[in-house]
Amino acid sequence: MLPNRSRTSVLVFLLPPLLLYCAAVLFPILQSLFLSFFSWNGISEMEFVGLANYVRMLTADDIFWRSFFNALLYLAICLVLQLGGALVVASLLTSLRRGRELIKTLYLLPAVISTVAIAFLFVRIYSIDPVGLLNQLLHWIGLGSFERAWLSDVNTVLAAVSAPEGWRFTGLYMLIIYAALIAVPKELEEAAVLDGASKWTLFTKIRFPYIRPVWITTTIMATTYGLRGFDIPYLMTNGGPGQSSELLTTYMYKTAFTSTDFGYASTISVFIVIECLVAVGLILFMLKRKADS
Amino acid sequence: MITQTAPSTPRASTPPSPVRQRRRRKPSLYRTLSRVLIMLIVIVQVYPLAWLFLTSLRTEHDFATGDPFALPSSWTWENYARAFETGDLGRNILNSFIVTMGANILIVLFGMMAAYAIQVLGFRLSRFVRGLFLVGIIVPVQIALVPLFIDYSAVNLLDTYQSMIIPLAGFALPMSIYLFSSFFEYIPRETYEAASLDGAGPYRIFGLITLPLSLNTVVTVVLVNSIFIWNDFIFANTFVLSEDLKTIPLGLQNYIGAMGKVDWTATFAAVCVTITPLLLVFLVLNKAMIQGLESGATKG
Repeated sequence: MLPNRSRTSVLVFLLPPLLLYCAAVLFPILQSLFLSFFSWNGISEMEFVGLANYVRMLTADDIFWRSFFNALLYLAICLVLQLGGALVVASLLTSLRRGRELIKTLYLLPAVISTVAIAFLFVRIYSIDPVGLLNQLLHWIGLGSFERAWLSDVNTVLAAVSAPEGWRFTGLYMLIIYAALIAVPKELEEAAVLDGASKWTLFTKIRFPYIRPVWITTTIMATTYGLRGFDIPYLMTNGGPGQSSELLTTYMYKTAFTSTDFGYASTISVFIVIECLVAVGLILFMLKRKADS
Repeated sequence: MITQTAPSTPRASTPPSPVRQRRRRKPSLYRTLSRVLIMLIVIVQVYPLAWLFLTSLRTEHDFATGDPFALPSSWTWENYARAFETGDLGRNILNSFIVTMGANILIVLFGMMAAYAIQVLGFRLSRFVRGLFLVGIIVPVQIALVPLFIDYSAVNLLDTYQSMIIPLAGFALPMSIYLFSSFFEYIPRETYEAASLDGAGPYRIFGLITLPLSLNTVVTVVLVNSIFIWNDFIFANTFVLSEDLKTIPLGLQNYIGAMGKVDWTATFAAVCVTITPLLLVFLVLNKAMIQGLESGATKG
């Protein structure tokens, strides 16, 4: 603590950021919680309905559950592409002698592109008429039977809208993991190599345990970003066809701004927040416990 | 999976040897495999963007009928002319610029102030306040959409620059505070004590010591946040209706015509125009940006 500080000075520095944070983040959370107990379309009188919205959400709303499981699958695909891809590329990168900086830059490139542009791009990549990149590629490598309109097929649409999100941010996580990997002390690795450790043992016994704290951070980042994923599915399919690519976030958005059911939309968004908190808790619990054992 | 299978081959034939000797050998199978793999992955990351650019130079007919992988049969800048006719790209870029600047100023200034109050000045509830801010890192932005929409319409803030800047800055603030506090930890206490003995109060210390020392962190925070703010879709889409205020992501949507008919080549031209500013900044400053992203998460 600074010796010369005064109570006023603390307030001068703390109040403006705290006010902004309250106005944009904390107060809206409380407001959502409050609204979730009401039925309100934004115009008529607000009507207190107690837990009715929650009961409806958990017991009577098929679309909600559909979106929930879709969101989990979307999350799983994003995590595999982002964290798996990031780990593989970061590991490979450490074995390169030249061109690391260039590859890092190129790999990160998609992260700079807006989601709207990415949605446009992938609509064309998946398209069948005129034939898009993916279908053409499948045709060339002799998998022509898999050609399809990826975004109108109910079996593939969810994976098709998840992949761009994974593609977009894998570079970000690769950078973080790479930075952690090159911080692993060289003596540790060399000693293990002298002892005859294979590359795989080197990775599982030395490198990975060493980067575990960073791995936990990136897993939390990727998971919370995955659970709030919205732009790309909303823009590419708007949840369709039917509800086959509906996520909780897109469902919430439509409930709020298409059906103007503000109360019920708030209930869903409260659920999304709880889901994020639970996910972070679970990750910490699982990864920390493994580290202790 | 890949790391699992690739490494075993060369190890079987060569006895374990010190790393330095291995370096001088011919490229091993493992090395070659990993190079090929890296090249493939980089192509997957970069080719779609290159394709986007190539398509923006194709004629419409070529796009509708040709092989998507082929180079354009004739090159044309027509699409760019149509792109500028259809939308108000200049206006969109200006709006994105205003929002990005506004939010960044708030994020940097307020982030630094809060971190200074919590980390340097210190007060009784500082740990609690810090925790309160940090929770914001994991809160999804969707929770704020309905409440802010209602609040904005109550105070007539809908359809303004502020309606985008406030939540963008608010949700980025926790990370900024976190980065600044972790940096402030490294400024030795003696620096502050010496300044205090010379009679400098908290305001002068902030302006003369903390602020100039944190310039690197400022660059990090600005670069990282700019990517997200420049490309923000959800807040702009929810709070902005008039053409005059539309940022780039909303402007691009205008290219979807009535009945969902899209002039693709012109759209891709527009996409190329709008990603250029940020792409240039990124390519020029990519060292600083990459460092920022790396340090941002590894400190945690």
